[in-house]
Amino acid sequence: MTKRIFRAIFGLAMVMMLAVIGLVMGMMNDYFSAEQHEELRSQAIYVGAGIESMGVGYLQQMKNPSDRITWIDEDGVVLFDSKANPAKMDNHKEREEVVDAFKKGEGFSERYSTTLSEKTVNYAVKLDNGTVIRISTVTTSPITLFFTMTQPLAIILAAAILISVFLSFRTAKNITKPINDIDLEHPELAVVYDELTPLLRRIAVQNKQLHKQMRELKRQKQEFDTITSNMQEGILVLDSQGDVLSYNMGALQLMELEVPKGLVSVFELNRGEGFRRCVESALAGSHREENIQLGGKVCQLFANPVHQEDILAGAILVLFDVTEREERDKLRREFTANVSHELKTPLTSISGFAEIMKNGMVHGEDVPRFAAKIYDEAQRLIQMVQDIIKLSKLDEKQIALEKEVVNLESLVQETVRRLDPIAESKGVTIWVNTEPATLVGVYQVLQEVIYNLCENAIRYNVDNGKVNVSLENKEKHIVITVSDTGMGIAKANQSRVFERFYRVNESRSKETEGTGLGLSIVKHGAMVHNAKINLTSELNKGTKITLSFPK
Amino acid sequence: MVRSRFDSQLDQLNVEMIKMGALCEEAITASMKALLENDDMAALIVFEKDSEIDRKEKEIEALCMRLLLQQQPVAKDLRMISSALKMISDMERIGDQAADIAEITAFIKDNETKRKLHIREMATAAVKMVTESVDSFVRKDLELAKSVMAYDDVLDNLFTEVKQELIDLISKDQANGEFCLDLLMISKYLERIGDHATNIAEWVEYSITGYHVKMDLEVGKK
Repeated sequence: MTKRIFRAIFGLAMVMMLAVIGLVMGMMNDYFSAEQHEELRSQAIYVGAGIESMGVGYLQQMKNPSDRITWIDEDGVVLFDSKANPAKMDNHKEREEVVDAFKKGEGFSERYSTTLSEKTVNYAVKLDNGTVIRISTVTTSPITLFFTMTQPLAIILAAAILISVFLSFRTAKNITKPINDIDLEHPELAVVYDELTPLLRRIAVQNKQLHKQMRELKRQKQEFDTITSNMQEGILVLDSQGDVLSYNMGALQLMELEVPKGLVSVFELNRGEGFRRCVESALAGSHREENIQLGGKVCQLFANPVHQEDILAGAILVLFDVTEREERDKLRREFTANVSHELKTPLTSISGFAEIMKNGMVHGEDVPRFAAKIYDEAQRLIQMVQDIIKLSKLDEKQIALEKEVVNLESLVQETVRRLDPIAESKGVTIWVNTEPATLVGVYQVLQEVIYNLCENAIRYNVDNGKVNVSLENKEKHIVITVSDTGMGIAKANQSRVFERFYRVNESRSKETEGTGLGLSIVKHGAMVHNAKINLTSELNKGTKITLSFPK
Repeated sequence: MVRSRFDSQLDQLNVEMIKMGALCEEAITASMKALLENDDMAALIVFEKDSEIDRKEKEIEALCMRLLLQQQPVAKDLRMISSALKMISDMERIGDQAADIAEITAFIKDNETKRKLHIREMATAAVKMVTESVDSFVRKDLELAKSVMAYDDVLDNLFTEVKQELIDLISKDQANGEFCLDLLMISKYLERIGDHATNIAEWVEYSITGYHVKMDLEVGKK
């Protein structure tokens, strides 16, 4: 703006100055030529008077007059000339000034030299005797005059330019200064030209609106941040180039990342195959979901394209931690496979024995033996199904509602008594050492837990081994310990014996009967009562399992 | 936010490099699966990845050339582009070698002796080196790049060990000869993969600092 004002003022000043110079020069020129004419005229009249009284002798006695004097008779023939021989001069009757003089009594003409540098001014007057006297003077032309004045003019012009540059710059500055000084945050306070007031008022109103919208946006962003930062699920927002625009803490935690610096490509965060496929598909405009491995976790990744008015603007990635679900699925699959296998084994035997009998290949006296085998296998099957039912009940935690005060001492002694026949048949001695103790729990579950612990201690014992069952009532815990002198469990298997159907002996030999569910039931029973299980075992020496119930 | 065309092309280069690095990781991981778990599908995946890696190399090369010619980059950007050009050829070699390994696995499928040798350790080390060299590029992590260069010694030592094991095997029974040679090839490939990963790490160092170990280049270093 300053520039424009400056240019306008300066331009105007220049134009004015040139115009003034031109006009002044023109006027001066006119004035001087008028003076000259007057001078020539009076000279001509004076010379004419001289000729009329003295004839040509007057002219001849004039030595070197400053102006050229020519005398012409009524036919245009030159009678006298002060600068040339009249005999050699041609007829002057047709000269402009001479024609005028014959006609009107006086004539006037100006002729420029071929270089335009000089101007000849002629004045002719008709004398009373009919002849014409002409006076010519040579002066410099206005153009020559102009050129001779160039230098002083240039100096004046330069000075004028300098002054006008300075002045117009200052003026422009002064005009724009109050505009520049307006505080746009508070335009209503500014004191400037009246013409600007409506504009400033408008800006003030819009300022207010902007502030309000900014506050609103900030609040919304905070809300969004609060919501997303408290989510366990990971959210990543990408632009159409695949750069991360926004993320939440959940995403960083799931992807095990530090806070990224600045704008980074999503592929810098993860470049796994599934991840890449999902992101690329979303950025190409179609939804995709996949389970991907992130460190030790399994995550379900949803990648959705984001469209803005039919143009792909980016993508949103949502990550769910499905590690537990995947593990549960895996366990369930294993469990189903195991159950089918375990159920099939006794059924195959039953079916085999029954087939032989059906085909009549069994002698009458052998029938009881075969029937006994079928009976045993069926019993085993029933036992297993019962165990599975118990386990699934424990899984569903229905029993939690039926808690009561249980006398543990009598429960332990009773359970051991029930196991006496099995122990006797194997020659195992059971030593019981109890203290009075009561616990709030589920009677049936506790009975199952103790029964299974003791049964395992007998079943996986060596012949004529020993089993120690103790019940201690400590300050904060009730501790049940069952130790045996049996075959023990190898270190590698110790962590797995509580899994369903896990048998240390892979051949699932029938030598030691059992469903493989015993310790699993113990584990779940302990969980129902918040009890801790501790297992120490040494191969071929024995196993000790401690259950510690919190009081 | 308005980004210049140059910046967005550089970003694109970065992303393409990450993708190519990821493909290399996947190729070598799959080739190890084919070798150690006799997985035929994995071998097929390796071949697929290898040709994808070749395609990516062409793409990145063209992108780099375009950047060099049209934008005339200087200083750090120039280093980034020139080291990218070098890195892709190393990555491409890693892809080729993974494919070579996958090809051999078909011949030694039924021999279980391979599990008893230190091949598995070599494979783990090679995969680790490739992954970490790509990581060091992605994160511009100088320390990680240096640790990759140092780790090459581990792989070299393992190679010597495997070689000794193979010599012992042949001296025990000459019928093992062919099998042993196949395994020797595989372990050599793994050792080479380690070297390529080291190269990548060296170029990462160059693109960050302007200093390259082997060439003693000091371009752009004051």
